[in-house]
Amino acid sequence: MNNREKEEYLREYEQLKKKGKPFFPYAIMKDSVMFLVVAAVLITMSLVLGAEMGPKADPTTTTYTPRPEWYFFFLFELLRVLKPPALVPIATVGIPTICMVLLLALPFYDRGAERIPWKRPIATITGILIIIAMAKLTLLGASAGSPSEIELATKPQYEQGKAIVAESGCLACHAIGENGAHGGLGPDLTEIGSKIPRSAIKQSVEIGPGIMPSFRGLGEEDLNAVADYLASLN
Amino acid sequence: MKSPFPSRTKKADQAGNGAAPDENGAVVEEPKPSRKEKLSGHKDLAVHHGGEAGKDVAGWVDSRTNATGIFTAMMSRHVPKGTNWFYTLGSATMFIFAMQAITGVILSMYYTPSATQAYASITHLTNDVFLGEFVRGLHKWGASLMIILIFLHMARTFFFGAYKYPRELNWVIGVVLLILTMVMGLTGYLLPFDQRSFWATIVANNITASGPVVGPYLADFLRAGPDFSATTLSRFYALHMLVVPGLIGGLIGAHLFLVVKLGTTAPPWVRAARPKGAQRSEAVVAGVAVADSDEVSVSSNGVVANGSVEAVAEEADQAKSKTEAPEAAAGPEVTEAESAPEEPEAPEEPEAPADDEETTS
Repeated sequence: MNNREKEEYLREYEQLKKKGKPFFPYAIMKDSVMFLVVAAVLITMSLVLGAEMGPKADPTTTTYTPRPEWYFFFLFELLRVLKPPALVPIATVGIPTICMVLLLALPFYDRGAERIPWKRPIATITGILIIIAMAKLTLLGASAGSPSEIELATKPQYEQGKAIVAESGCLACHAIGENGAHGGLGPDLTEIGSKIPRSAIKQSVEIGPGIMPSFRGLGEEDLNAVADYLASLN
Repeated sequence: MKSPFPSRTKKADQAGNGAAPDENGAVVEEPKPSRKEKLSGHKDLAVHHGGEAGKDVAGWVDSRTNATGIFTAMMSRHVPKGTNWFYTLGSATMFIFAMQAITGVILSMYYTPSATQAYASITHLTNDVFLGEFVRGLHKWGASLMIILIFLHMARTFFFGAYKYPRELNWVIGVVLLILTMVMGLTGYLLPFDQRSFWATIVANNITASGPVVGPYLADFLRAGPDFSATTLSRFYALHMLVVPGLIGGLIGAHLFLVVKLGTTAPPWVRAARPKGAQRSEAVVAGVAVADSDEVSVSSNGVVANGSVEAVAEEADQAKSKTEAPEAAAGPEVTEAESAPEEPEAPEEPEAPADDEETTS
């Protein structure tokens, strides 16, 4: 936008303003109607949906579902898409940071004088694509449950470990056989026993490397059972 | 400082300030008009009349703040032609924020920010307190609605090109407000201290820790240590209750100040001039242009300082020369709209590859 365009804009705007209506009562009226609509929606949501409480937080628990509020689903899904450990920092911090900087700086790199949406197709199409992508990621995140069942057969001595793994919410991020999060936050565990030794598996479960939470709270006995079971997967 | 109340003004009188009570017992403050005039510039407001205490107080405040003037100016300022329902999204977001503040204060009256008692206090609030679950529901779903409204408001601003000159700074403030609102969502999510929120916060913190350079330090700060502890909850509570709402409130103030100062945009397809019959003769064109030049140069924006008059005069000359041709009757506004699309495309291009990352990932 050069100086002439800026002046033209201001002059046009000044005229539009002169032809407009006073804030009170016209804009106030619309705003108030909108307030009422928002308040009605909010009250209805509160009455119908209520405010449920889950079970009390228990750091030593074995069952949990790490699910964020719905408006963070798209960020969580981003993690699922980029699952290799080397890419995790890019998904967790890199892309959101780049997006935020691009969003903040928008008026400084999009300096064209044109404002009509259909006359600036690049901006409009990019905006629509971003909205579609975020909506899709949010829907994917909403539909990704955390199953607590492992169908993959195992030997009787590992059944205890399998049960603990199933109810500890591992499948929220990992896949085992047909179950769990395929392409989830964490690596596929179906053949984990053939990839890393039992000691490393146990250590991972105990410490929680990267974004994985620690499962030290399970206790030594259950940790061993889990490690035995996971090491048997190959 | 003088007070309009008789008992104190008598004292003031005795103290030798020289204010003389009139027959109603009120004081006509003549000795120090200069000071009041300095403050307000309204000499008439410095004079008090008995029996109108309310008016007096209003006048006293007004002479120091010009509150009435500011309020009247805000209410009577024009919104541009074509303003439609999309322009209510911003104020609706602010309305939801006010609701969140009110319900949040009510919730804080019952909430105990300690790892051992938080859950019990929320359970008590939800199950035992009158309308407790309703208020908690308002706060919980208000957060979702606020996020939705903020995104809708931002989408309107984006697609209408309202972030462009002269409103770039307001866009930046708006994006910061969006980020802060999401921080509110993140910090507030932990407070009920149930399983879902606890483990989601652990993962969120681990995500923070995976960031380069500052990530681990930021995660340690949020957790108040290398591990999740009782202090983590109070830290989130303080952020959620004091720090972030304070920042949001201040930035909303700045956002609104700029909205009032710069004015809200009109929908970009709305034009001030009607395409036909706008100009019938040279005289009319010149007249309009000159009138406009006055408008712009004295506009309250203060953005147009120099050169506007010359530019507009030039515009008027152009228009004069064009009036022979009937196509030019549309005026400078329309010709601008038609010639503009060529130029803005180029500067927009760096946006495309950068944003592709966002959409394809």
